[in-house]
Formats: sequence, structure tokens, C-alpha cells
Amino acid sequence: MIGMHALLHVIFASGFLANRPVRAALAVGGGTAVVSAVVGVFTVMRGQSFAAHALGDVSSAGGSASYLLGVRPMVGFIGMGVLAAAGMEWADMQDARERDLATGVILGAGLALTALFLYLDTTSGSASGAAIAILFGSMFTLPATIVLPALAAGAVAVVTVGALYRPLLLSSLSAELAAAQGTRVRLVGLAHALALALAVSLSAMSVGAILSPALLIGPAATALRLVNRPGLAMALAALLGIAAVWGGILLAYDSYYWTPGHGWPVSFFIVSLIFLGYVVANVARSSRK
Amino acid sequence: MGKREPSACSRLRRQEPAAAGSLRRRRRSAALLAVLAVTCAACSPTVERRGVTAIGIESQYADVLSQIAGPHASVRAIETNPNTDPHEYEASPAIAREIAAADLIVENGLGYDSWVDRIIAATENPRRHVIEVRRVLGLPRDTSNPHLWYDPKTMPAVARAIAAALSAIEPAQQAYFRANERKFDASLSKWKKTLAEFAAKNAGTPVAVTEPVADALLEAAGCTILTPQSLQLAIMNGNDPSPQDVATQEALLTGHRVKALIYNRQVSNPLTESFLELARKNGIPVVGVYETMPTPGYSYQTWMQAETEALIRAVTRGVSTVTLASEGSRR
Repeated sequence: MIGMHALLHVIFASGFLANRPVRAALAVGGGTAVVSAVVGVFTVMRGQSFAAHALGDVSSAGGSASYLLGVRPMVGFIGMGVLAAAGMEWADMQDARERDLATGVILGAGLALTALFLYLDTTSGSASGAAIAILFGSMFTLPATIVLPALAAGAVAVVTVGALYRPLLLSSLSAELAAAQGTRVRLVGLAHALALALAVSLSAMSVGAILSPALLIGPAATALRLVNRPGLAMALAALLGIAAVWGGILLAYDSYYWTPGHGWPVSFFIVSLIFLGYVVANVARSSRK
Repeated sequence: MGKREPSACSRLRRQEPAAAGSLRRRRRSAALLAVLAVTCAACSPTVERRGVTAIGIESQYADVLSQIAGPHASVRAIETNPNTDPHEYEASPAIAREIAAADLIVENGLGYDSWVDRIIAATENPRRHVIEVRRVLGLPRDTSNPHLWYDPKTMPAVARAIAAALSAIEPAQQAYFRANERKFDASLSKWKKTLAEFAAKNAGTPVAVTEPVADALLEAAGCTILTPQSLQLAIMNGNDPSPQDVATQEALLTGHRVKALIYNRQVSNPLTESFLELARKNGIPVVGVYETMPTPGYSYQTWMQAETEALIRAVTRGVSTVTLASEGSRR
């Protein structure tokens, strides 16, 4: 009993749940994991992982511009993400090779803008630390006032995907079949792209723009390795995502006591746990065969 | 952005040798006349210059340089923008050329202006004197707080090093430089007295900070800085702060455990903004301090005096000072 208590005390270093930045990170990160799971499963099924990656990078241009404009980074991330998603969907490239090329070029352009804005942030303004916060995330600096807007944006994405679940599923499996059955494939695609933009933006706020695809795609891909039904995969991906995010936050909190005086970056732990889950799922799957 | 343009930087004092130089040349060659008329209209006085050219990388060092050198040097400051973070400075090729040609350079060291060392190393100039303030103070290379000029002991040592270097460059003026150095030291006594009087009456005043910029001044004023050092360094270096440190800082403000929040005006991000907001909500006075000397209107001495007075106003009367207005129009 005493041993159990001591173990719990080692895992949950004192004050973990009472800590204000930890609670904000748990709320925003947990919400992001759920949204990422729901949107991510469709993204993986539609083969748009690379587009999701590009969206994350392009949204970082909005995040870095927000420091110049004096608005919340979340507004910048979402604004730029939605614009880019709509643009990519509007361009409507069917050929996979062409789409990959265009996505790659757009990704580069987005990061170039980010480089410019981060430069201006620090040379004409006083926004030090913007580069780390935008590109690699800074979960423990999320203010308490961001929790509700972030969860609201996430809810919009989940409700959108939920409302369009059947047509989205059908058009993700076979666009031709869906069109033949009277689904407005492009409209559904646009709705998914907007939900994707919201999910990517939240993910970018949590673990940074560069790492955001890991949170969006990782748990969804892992879940789809283990189960086949999309609904079940979403639930499993949400569980995996929450486990990775909350586990990462806990490890980052504990790491403060490993290297005296400074913790390790929370994004590192989250993305590492996601990667670990993916590897384990693949090993489990191949050993079952 | 403006600070990358040499023309936007403050030219504190300089001689005007260009006109005399070009006159001599005109007599020499009529063919050059047209060319010179065009080039010298736009060019800097470094063409055919006499006297000493001295550069203070940070404007506060340039200010002390001009106070010691008087009219015997043209002094130039590089990092002069009090609205940006000097840690993020990037030099332009034009500034690199000026540094390469200068006779005397005063740099801070401790990675604060490490770009200067790269330019100095890349451009050989046997006549050049380089004063690295860290070395003057005998500090180790791993000193964590690079904002040396906030320590009242720093500038007298810098002034002595400047006077010695100038005397080596222009031995004829040695007595003048030494006299200016003594005058500079004497002019710091008002600030030191203000600090000592405050420290005597308010020893151990608890304060919070966002960043270590003015820590040396706060210590000289007898304040106890309760913000974790690791949080200050994380904010200064743009790293991810630990949640423990953020929570500690927030508890200092919400628990009214500090008399003032001193924040670096040149380093702001959503986290520092949230600390400011929390201080306002809890009625804790805030004091904005600068990394770079605010110009125009301030000398190093009046700048330090103004920031010390702002601290005293906050601690004794609960009055916030967000910006330092130019001298004379202060609140």
C-alpha cells in the first residue's frame, strides 16, 4: 500500500493537477486529441496526410503573423489554416502525383512566409520566443482564457464531421460511388478540409506547427492498424491521442525534477509517445499474422 | 526593421573631415571632381577620415564612449532600437564594414552580441582595440545574465577601459580622456546614492520579474527577486518554460507576495503578457525596463536614474511606469 502510494507520488509529482498551466494544457491538449482523432481517421482514409502536414506549416504563417498584428496566435493559426484548406480544396487536383507536387510547393511557400513573419516579429517587434512557440509548441504558456475558444473550435470540427459522417465515409472510400449515389462530393470535401484546418490549427497550437501532423495522423493511423471500422477507429484514436498528450504533459512536468530547474519540451514527449504507439501497433499486427 | 539601416541609427557625435578631404583632392585632380561631387554628397564621413572612429555595439556603451572621447572620436551605436529584442539582432553588410574599419569597439560579450566577434575575427585590423565588457569585469564565460550594464559597478570599469584604449590610440589626449573618466564616475554618484538610500530603507523588498534584464539593478537596490531563475532564462532565451515555474510566478502575483512586477519591454510574448495582466488584476504595480537605452533624451546616467525612480515609485507608492518618456516630459 505504501509502495503503491510512493509509486503514484513518483509518477504524479506533487502539485501536478493543481498546477494552472498543466490544467490548461490538459484541457486544450485533450480536446485537440479528440478532434484530431475524429478528423484524422478520415484524413488517413482519404490519403491526405501530406495535405494535413502542409496545412500545419501554412497555418504557422498565420500564427507567426498574429504577433505582428497583435491578435491571439489561435486566430492567426485558424485564419490561415482555413484559407489554405479552402484554396487547396478549390484547386481540386485529382491526379495524386500533381496533388503531391502542388502540396509540397504550397508547404514551402507557407514556411517561407513563416520565416518572414518570425523575422519581422523579432526585428521590428519584441516577440522573443515566437519561433519556438509557433514551430514546436509551448503548451504550458497557453493562457487560461484560450481553453474555451479552443474547445469551441474543436467542437465545430467534430460536429461538422459528425453531421457529414455517412457522405464523408462514402466519398472517402470511393468518390465515384458517392457521386453516383447523389452525394455532393466537392461540398463534402470542402467541409472535411475546413474541419481539417481547425484540427491542424489546434494541433499546431498544442505541439507546434511542425509537429502538428504527428498528433493528427499518428493516433488515427495507429488505430486504423488495429481496427477496421471507422467509428471504432475514431474512438480508439481519441483514446490513444489523449493517452499520448496527457502522458506527454505528465512526463514534461516530471522532467523538471530530472534535470534540476528546467523541464524538457512537452512536444517531444507527446510526439515520442505517438511514435511509440505506432511502432507497437505495427509489431502487434505483424505478429498476429 | 529600422535598426538595420545605418542611417536610422543614432550618430551620437562625429567630426566632419569629409569636406576638408575632398577639397584637397579637388586641387589634385580636376577629373575626380565630378565623381567626388556625386559620391561625397551621399557617402559617410569614413572616406578620408581623421580622428578616431569608435563603435559601441549597444547604445549604452556608445553613450559612455562619447562621454569619455568628447570631440576626439566619432562614435556610433549599432543596437539602438528600444522596441526590439537585442538578443535577436542580425547585422547588415554595411554595419559589418563599419565594424571592420573601426579603431575602437565596445561590445558586451556573453553571447549578447556574438555576431560582432564573427565580424572582428573575419576582418583583420591590427590597429583595432576591442573592449569586451565581460572580460573587463572578469566574469566567467558561462555567466547566465548578460545584461551587465544594470550593475552599478559595470560602467566605471568600462569607462576606465575606454579611457585607456583611447589614450593608446591618441596619446596626446590622455589627460583629457582621464579627466572625462573621472567626471563620468562622479556623475554616477547620484544614482548610486538613490540605490543605497532605497536599499537601506527597503531591504529585502520582494519583487517578480519577467526576464533577468534589470536583475543587477534590483539586487543593488536590495530587492529580493522571487521569480525562479529558470523561468527568467526560459523567457530570455525563448525556450519552453516549465509549468512549475509558470505556476510559481502566477502564485507570486495572485498571492500578493511581491511589491512590483519588473518586466522587460523588449521581450514580450503571450506568457509575459499574461503576467502583466495578472499583475494589473491583482493591483500589483508594474515597471517597464529596457535592454537598450531609450533615445533621444537619455544618457546612461539619467536612464539608470529614471528606472531606479520608477522602481521606487512602484514599491513605495504603488505607481506603475510602463514606458520611460523622454526627459522633461516624465510623469
